[in-house]
Amino acid sequence: MEGESGDITVTSSNRKCSAVTGSGRKTKDNAADWHNLMLRWERLNDDGFKAATNIVNLRRSQSDRLLVDESSSSSSSSASQQTAAAAELQDECIKLQEVVDKMVAVVTKMERLVTSQRGIRDLEEFQFGPEGRKIPLFHSWSSKQLEESCHFLFAAYSQELQLKRTILQEVAHTATSDLCLVYLSCWLHQPFIPPHSRLTLEALLLETGHRPL
Amino acid sequence: MSKPAVFSLDQALRRSFVNLEDSQKVWRKVLEDCNPLMESLGNLAEQSAALSGLQISNTPLRDFPDLEERLRFKLSLETDSVLRKLHENMSSLQAVRDSVSHHLSAVQQQFDQISESLDLLDLTQRSASTPSVCDLMEWLQDAERLYRLQFLRRKTLLQTLRVDDFCLLESAPQRWKSVECESSEDQITETLCRVSFFMESQ
Repeated sequence: MEGESGDITVTSSNRKCSAVTGSGRKTKDNAADWHNLMLRWERLNDDGFKAATNIVNLRRSQSDRLLVDESSSSSSSSASQQTAAAAELQDECIKLQEVVDKMVAVVTKMERLVTSQRGIRDLEEFQFGPEGRKIPLFHSWSSKQLEESCHFLFAAYSQELQLKRTILQEVAHTATSDLCLVYLSCWLHQPFIPPHSRLTLEALLLETGHRPL
Repeated sequence: MSKPAVFSLDQALRRSFVNLEDSQKVWRKVLEDCNPLMESLGNLAEQSAALSGLQISNTPLRDFPDLEERLRFKLSLETDSVLRKLHENMSSLQAVRDSVSHHLSAVQQQFDQISESLDLLDLTQRSASTPSVCDLMEWLQDAERLYRLQFLRRKTLLQTLRVDDFCLLESAPQRWKSVECESSEDQITETLCRVSFFMESQ
């Protein structure tokens, strides 16, 4: 019944009978999607970090090798070594590009979730007026709060993606070791995803009934 | 010489060494757990130092708002988390130290009670499989002192570390390694070898 570990699949235990229909159903599904997307992002982040670290290490050994070649006179074996190293570096760059492309896909889906949530809110305003519905859709959150949570998460991941794109462009061309380390640091620690984004997701899952109260 | 008194002292010593054997396992496990944590600490400090050594406005990262503060915050959070885990491990080391000390106190108490009735022969008599009471007590005291000092040195080292002092943090893994002197761990192992027959006998 359960999907990949950590993914939320709709099971009979978390489907709240026939009461959850329409906007409630859509919002609940969106919350599950948020969870799955954030999980996917973390896995991609790990993969990207491995590739980025390899790139930095390969660049470092490349420049070390160049220094050795400059000081010594032999160059026959070093040419093939350099080609092999360059090919390896290229491979890692491609891997990192692929990771970033997948992250772009994740953020695009996140944007769709925000649009969907805004649509739900607009519909509610149309049905109930500018105040929205009197009785909350789930436990206590208004549609505005639901939408704001989604927007907060999207903004964070969106900004983080910009940073990752910059790192992708620059990491293979950076000479300074401090800057290389800062790029890796930025990739790993994700400065634009605040620590409480996890909490925001959990609150969303709690509100929409994916987690027991 | 009253045999029963020496017998019960022997029993207490035996229990202490069994405890020492268990304690050594726990101690080693905890130190093993600390190794990757200390490495993380060093890495995080290196990252913080690299960030400080950089002028972000001169790099392609200049367009990202508050990047430096945000990254520094994240690094502090991680460092704090690692330090917390290390402090938790210190509690386990403390438990080992306390356990060995407790057994030593019990042995010493028993010894004090019967010491008047013991002569030099009782204290120094040894056989192929059983060391003398003197030797046993000396080795136990040495082990207790070792764990006590090791714990103190490690605890003190950790207490000097601050999240924002990355110079100290960078040197921490090296200093942690140097607290462990090779001979200390071997000493416990050697002691346990010497008392292995004694521990098995009744």
